[in-house]
Amino acid sequence: MARILIADDSETITTLLATALQSSGYEVEVATDGNQAYQMGLESEHDLAILDQLMPGLLGLEVIDRWREAGIETPVIILTGVDDERTAVESLDRGAVDFVRKPFRLPELMARIRQRI
Amino acid sequence: MSLLELVQYATLVVLVLDAVGVGTLIVLKAVNRRRRLATERRKREYMRLISRHVAFEYCTDPIPADAARDPAFIDAIIDFRNVLAGSELANLERLISRHGVVRRLIKDLSSPWKVKRLRAAMALAEIGGDETVDVLLAHLDDREPEIRVQAARGLGRIGWTPAIDEIVSRFGRVSPWVRARFADTLIGFGADATWPLVAYVMVNHRHETAGPVAAIRTLAAIGDAQAVKPLMDVLETATDTEVTIAALDALGSLGHPMAAPVMRTAATNPDWRIRAKVVTALGQVGDVGALEVLATALTDESWWVRRNAAAALGAVPGGLDRLYEAVAGDDRFASDAAMEALVDIGELTAARMRMEGGIAAPRDLALISHVEAHA
Repeated sequence: MARILIADDSETITTLLATALQSSGYEVEVATDGNQAYQMGLESEHDLAILDQLMPGLLGLEVIDRWREAGIETPVIILTGVDDERTAVESLDRGAVDFVRKPFRLPELMARIRQRI
Repeated sequence: MSLLELVQYATLVVLVLDAVGVGTLIVLKAVNRRRRLATERRKREYMRLISRHVAFEYCTDPIPADAARDPAFIDAIIDFRNVLAGSELANLERLISRHGVVRRLIKDLSSPWKVKRLRAAMALAEIGGDETVDVLLAHLDDREPEIRVQAARGLGRIGWTPAIDEIVSRFGRVSPWVRARFADTLIGFGADATWPLVAYVMVNHRHETAGPVAAIRTLAAIGDAQAVKPLMDVLETATDTEVTIAALDALGSLGHPMAAPVMRTAATNPDWRIRAKVVTALGQVGDVGALEVLATALTDESWWVRRNAAAALGAVPGGLDRLYEAVAGDDRFASDAAMEALVDIGELTAARMRMEGGIAAPRDLALISHVEAHA
């Protein structure tokens, strides 16, 4: 069973994503800030991480940087604000495999997740 | 009973009352905490439930029949409403409709309890649809200012453009706080609000102050160039200083060169506040034709006018030369104002670097010596 880490400070988003992913047969772990996400990434392996860019503690892109420094190569999908074009592009430059703008459409995000796992 | 005993009894009574008060406070706090935690727990449960209904259109997990009465359910709905799009949002809208959430909130707006009414108004502002327009319009005149604001916010979120006239028409008869929040809603409507605001200003600016001033500021915040010509008319016909200043502020912020000639005529106004605003606005527009006006304003009797004129000259093409001329000139006040502006925009640093590089012009040396003389 594929394991996915979701990190977002919005409980609404983590609940929605966790519900949808668990129903599709994925094992889900949830972090509510960047530091926790970074730590969870170090402590256990994940097949994919979905990181919000704007979180308390480390930002989504900073989590990627720290993971890469620590040799963690988990593929990451970054969630960005709707007007945050620069972050969207930067996330690919910094090693994310994809980005999704909020508010997102669940079927589209699920398709992107399936593509990466 | 002696006086001492009386004091002792009185002290004892006060201590007992204090203890009762503190005890009551502790109990109330504990009860509140329990209630808050219970609400948070229910909200989390609702979020999981709503997630399933939102993610899967044909989800059959039961939602309690009276969920719409529960603030935790409404909070969860609002949270989802703000993050969803596409088919999930449609699923949520269906859920809201199926459970009569909006109907319930409309009913709550008539509750005798202020907190309940306020909560309903805030929720309607977040999730209400076209069916709530009439209710929200009616509550633009609610006895509670916060509910008036939420009604306007809801109409803005729904994007009901006929509401613009309704909101604007109330500009003059609400408190400053409500007016400011109404203005936020109108800014959200964007250019659709321009002409209603313009019409309101044109009709009212000669016999009202607060409403027209707020409307003019809102026009500036919307930033629609269509407002420039009407604001020029206001500037020419205004009799109220506050309205004139607001019009100048707005024209400066809109930055359209067409307004510059009319603005220049206000530069000789006897009120120093208007003259100070004119020179700033001319600087914002970047009006080259205002160089003479701004240079003259450097010798104004008001320190604010001189200061603003000097700052404006720093922003207008050709203005730097005028500032250097003023530094070298005989008028001490103009010279000081020009010097401060040149220092603020980094000319002193540049002049010193040119001097160190051996390429300083006479005006660089004049500026440096002027600054040193004032040090």
